[in-house]
Amino acid sequence: MTTEHSSPVSMDTNGAAGPSPAQNGQQNEPPFRLKFCTVCASNQNRSMEGHLRLSQAKYPVISFGTGSLVRLPGPTITQPNVYKFNETSYDSIYKELEAKDPRLYRMNGLLNMLGRNRSIKWGPERWQDWQIGMPRVKHEKDLGSQGMEAGVPDIVITCEERCWDAVIDDLLMRGSPLNRPVHVINIDIRDNHQDASIGGSAIVDLADSLNKVACEERERVGPVAFDSGSAAGRATFDERVPEVLAAWQERWPDLPATWTLSWF
Amino acid sequence: MADNPTDSGGPAAAADTNSSNSPKTLSVAEQLEQLNAARKLVLEQPAYYDRIVKGVLPIIGPNAALPLRRWGAEFLAESLATPVLSTRDKENLVIAVLDTLRSLLEGVGEDLIVLKACVGAAASAYPVTLRWIIHNSYYAEPWEQMTAIKSRILNIWDSAPAPIKISCIKFAQRVVLAQTASNGMEQKYNGLDVSLNMIPPNHNLLDPRHLEAEATGLLDRMLGVLQDNSSNALMVDATLNCLSILIRTRPSTSNRIINAILNFNPLKLATMSPMTPTTRMHVKSMEKTTRMFLTHLIKRDPANPFNGRIQQYLERLMRAKAELLDDARKRALSEQGYPMDAKRQKVEGAVPFVVPPLGPGPHSLASVFTLTNNAGLQAFDATLIPAPLAAKISIRALATISPAVIDAAINGVRDRLAALYAAGASDAAAATAAVAPSVLNPATAPLGVDDDDDDYEPDLTPAEDTEQILNKLDNAPPEVPLEEENHEDSAALALGPFKLPSPPATDADSASKAVPSLATRLFELLPHLKESAGRKKAGFNRLAGSQDDRDWFATVIIRLATRGTSNLSGLFPSERALIKQEDGTVRPGLGDAIREILYNHVFEDWRRNIDTAIAWLTEEWYCDQVAKATAAGNGASLQMHYEKWALRVMDGFINYITAQDKLLTRFLAEIPELTRPLLGKLKVLCEDPTTVQLALTSLLYLVMTKPPAKELALDMVGEIWTEYEDARPLAAKYLVKYRPGWIEAQLSRSNGN
Repeated sequence: MTTEHSSPVSMDTNGAAGPSPAQNGQQNEPPFRLKFCTVCASNQNRSMEGHLRLSQAKYPVISFGTGSLVRLPGPTITQPNVYKFNETSYDSIYKELEAKDPRLYRMNGLLNMLGRNRSIKWGPERWQDWQIGMPRVKHEKDLGSQGMEAGVPDIVITCEERCWDAVIDDLLMRGSPLNRPVHVINIDIRDNHQDASIGGSAIVDLADSLNKVACEERERVGPVAFDSGSAAGRATFDERVPEVLAAWQERWPDLPATWTLSWF
Repeated sequence: MADNPTDSGGPAAAADTNSSNSPKTLSVAEQLEQLNAARKLVLEQPAYYDRIVKGVLPIIGPNAALPLRRWGAEFLAESLATPVLSTRDKENLVIAVLDTLRSLLEGVGEDLIVLKACVGAAASAYPVTLRWIIHNSYYAEPWEQMTAIKSRILNIWDSAPAPIKISCIKFAQRVVLAQTASNGMEQKYNGLDVSLNMIPPNHNLLDPRHLEAEATGLLDRMLGVLQDNSSNALMVDATLNCLSILIRTRPSTSNRIINAILNFNPLKLATMSPMTPTTRMHVKSMEKTTRMFLTHLIKRDPANPFNGRIQQYLERLMRAKAELLDDARKRALSEQGYPMDAKRQKVEGAVPFVVPPLGPGPHSLASVFTLTNNAGLQAFDATLIPAPLAAKISIRALATISPAVIDAAINGVRDRLAALYAAGASDAAAATAAVAPSVLNPATAPLGVDDDDDDYEPDLTPAEDTEQILNKLDNAPPEVPLEEENHEDSAALALGPFKLPSPPATDADSASKAVPSLATRLFELLPHLKESAGRKKAGFNRLAGSQDDRDWFATVIIRLATRGTSNLSGLFPSERALIKQEDGTVRPGLGDAIREILYNHVFEDWRRNIDTAIAWLTEEWYCDQVAKATAAGNGASLQMHYEKWALRVMDGFINYITAQDKLLTRFLAEIPELTRPLLGKLKVLCEDPTTVQLALTSLLYLVMTKPPAKELALDMVGEIWTEYEDARPLAAKYLVKYRPGWIEAQLSRSNGN
């Protein structure tokens, strides 16, 4: 039941899941990696922090925003900088803000954030415009793109309750054409740089915990036990998600979490 | 979950390998590597789907190694679901894979991941197969395959482990979707649009009635999880999250589904078992998913007759949730190490409460009422707590505190004050004595007493409201000594006080002379303000003049005109009584001067400024009413403005009205009071045949929507009927409706005459 098992199954021979070709060195390199999707309002701060951290932990990952427009703070609260999703690159936003007021946007951390984002992917993407299941073969340069070629994640992590609501509502609207289950988890992270960074660590912790359980399920071989009443030891990944999340919540009591199983 | 891409091997080569089908010599790892390369190729080039899917089938069959079967099942699920291919493109693919799917599903002792993916693939395959069979009824085999797959899946549904079970739920949902009548609202892709409507009644393989009955049965089976009020969040969520499209696009299912959900209690688990973190997660998930689902329904279909019941259900759910989950939240808060714990412990500690006497030396009022020994709390600035919160804390503390403690506190403070008095009398220290009386201000002192909760440090300031402080400041002696000190320090540098000479006193005469230019200058600002941004519908909450636009300034001007000077009776002897000069001529006051210019302003562009006119007349009416109310007492004669100016405004535009001017209707509807002379102006319009209708429909509008003016308006219609021959047909129509018998009475009377 532990991940430390030295690959009892032949399937581990394709444990090449990792993006690097030299995967034989690490003993505890997981044989399988869940695919993630992070979501926040503008696909700039919280979801991108999660995107970066998950890709650094070698998980396949994509990210989206659920807002109608990309909104970044401006000189006053009533003058935000507003951009269109899918059409504006992080790089162009960076250059525009740098030209507008380099001091302000360096002080409030926007340039730093955009600088990070442009090294992760091209630009902010909108959840509602995403064609789920469209191959993402043109995104090789994005961090976390390896393993995401089919464009369908296993876990969606939103960073704010209203984003979770938007995602669930959108999935209900789409009518679940792909017949593929997806766990949608919300983690309430406040929208500032520091909390986003803490939230990033929490997301990676959650990803590791979930992945461990998923690996355990895949390592288990043998015929399906019908009507076994799913004894605790045989509990499957899907069943254990709430349990893993509850344990995670104990470790991160300041980041309230919600979960549901939805459909793509 | 197809995954694990590898980079090695050219895609073309992989495709060749697959299609040439010679994997016997390769190890499983090598085969997987090639399969992954092939998958990458189809993701890049959808045109290869047909070839590659058919090519991999022999490699992933029921006899292949487990990793290959897993890869194969997941690849099939992914390929059959892909949005890249149209339903038509998929038909070929689906027909080809049915055999493999079936044998994997029926394999004895099959693996969990393989089965889960195969059920998912079958869910995608089902509508495609059905659609194909509809058009190809001569070839029964695929339908037989699909039927076998269906019965296998429905067989294992109840007993399978959770991941397979949720896939079975989804499969059943696709069968229901395909076998019930559609209302055509669904998107036309991925087979969502396959429905009972497509099946011809005389199809030789498919019997629509039989299929529909099967769908009804399956839907009931799906809803069983809700009807049994299952506490398995995974099953509940998986079911709820696939029902939306059925409700929206399959009308025959919606009643049963909504009823099942409205009878489902997602919080039941919370009432049944102790709240562990995991049950909490389950309860929260079911509650939120149910709530999201119902909110989604209301949002997407605001006209649904169920919405009232759904709304009630949601409110009930929110209340129940607050009861069940909120105390858990409070517990979580206290566990996070908020200082609540320390506070409770102290109270429960039942240490006898003693107020330590004050030591010698001068004391501030705050220190007299400070009952805690904690230095940190003593230093706490209680003014930081907002007043409403402080009040809440005080009331809470007073309600819960024991009488013994409060008595002890009051006595303690009383003793302190007595000691202070005694000390003050004996020392006769002037400064202390000066402070003490104000300290004992009875209006403020008792307010501080409630702060005997030893966590709460009282402070002078919040005990007084601003009014009290201001009063006190007014009564305080001027701070002369301080100024004198300053003078001594900086006498050499200080400049003498500089005062502008006061302007000559204004008498009524000069004020009246200045009125026209004053009024004109008011209006000079108007063109420089920005355009008002449309009419906002804020209703009663609208705050007049809350924006810096033209509307705002117009409001200022209007109020100046109507009520601005009415209180300055000395300078402008009441607007209501005109200023009579000695020579008997009447000179307008400021109000009338502004009114005159306001009138001209409105008629610079009356169509655009009609709102200003309405606002103005409304204010006039209001001030008239206020003046009437105040004058009722002293019996002074008054001059009313409303009707006079309303008539002038009417006169101003009535001659420019054209047949399409709805503005007239609006104007009449929005001004506060209608009078006979005002409505009489409408007769002008009846002289012109093109505007007769406008006049009459405006009156009709008043009859229908302004009950106080109804009789007046009908009278006017009657007059028009009498006076204007051309207007009779239309006027008669309204009269017949609203004053039945009136015309006949008129006619008989005139005949009698």
